[in-house]
Amino acid sequence: MILGRVIGQVWAARRDVRLQRAKLLVVRPHAIYEPAFATRHLVATDDVDAGVGDDVVICLGAPARASAGGNDMPVDAAVLGVVDRIDLRPELLAAPGAGPGIKRALAAAGAAQK
Amino acid sequence: MIRGTVIGQVWAARKARGLEGQTLLLVAARDADGHATGRLVVASDTLDARAGEDVTVAFGSGARNVLRPGPDNRDLLCDAAIAAIVEGAG
Repeated sequence: MILGRVIGQVWAARRDVRLQRAKLLVVRPHAIYEPAFATRHLVATDDVDAGVGDDVVICLGAPARASAGGNDMPVDAAVLGVVDRIDLRPELLAAPGAGPGIKRALAAAGAAQK
Repeated sequence: MIRGTVIGQVWAARKARGLEGQTLLLVAARDADGHATGRLVVASDTLDARAGEDVTVAFGSGARNVLRPGPDNRDLLCDAAIAAIVEGAG
């Protein structure tokens, strides 16, 4: 799963019949996650009533598809939950072998707290 | 699976059905040399991993098998789960 922030919603009257009732949110990931395209955003279905500005946990791939209504759904990302709070351990920066990667990961997660 | 280090925990009361009580940890992924890459993974945890511990994270159906083994777990909304807490790696 990945962390991201909801930055918008997609409105579409003409859509695949299997998506008729799906709510589609535009989400910007807080950290790199190897997307299919370098777009810095993804569109996810939402069953937990997230709104613009919320930080969310996004599930990718087959489980997202199954949760959206079945394995034949044209979906590859779904909102798993709305983040209330993130507990981070910045003292890990001082741990041996922490390195710049830990710093970047902490910074990305820290962005979700603001 | 990949190796990573637990750097925190995500609290979310509003979650998809079937995930109530599920612990979600933030894991900083490491590369083959053991260096953190900056990539951040949110992983389900059933092993009570703590911040600072090195773990292995399973993805895809392997992650669902951590939460509930067997063929009937496709309904679980989970694509990453902590499979082991690493004590040492050669």
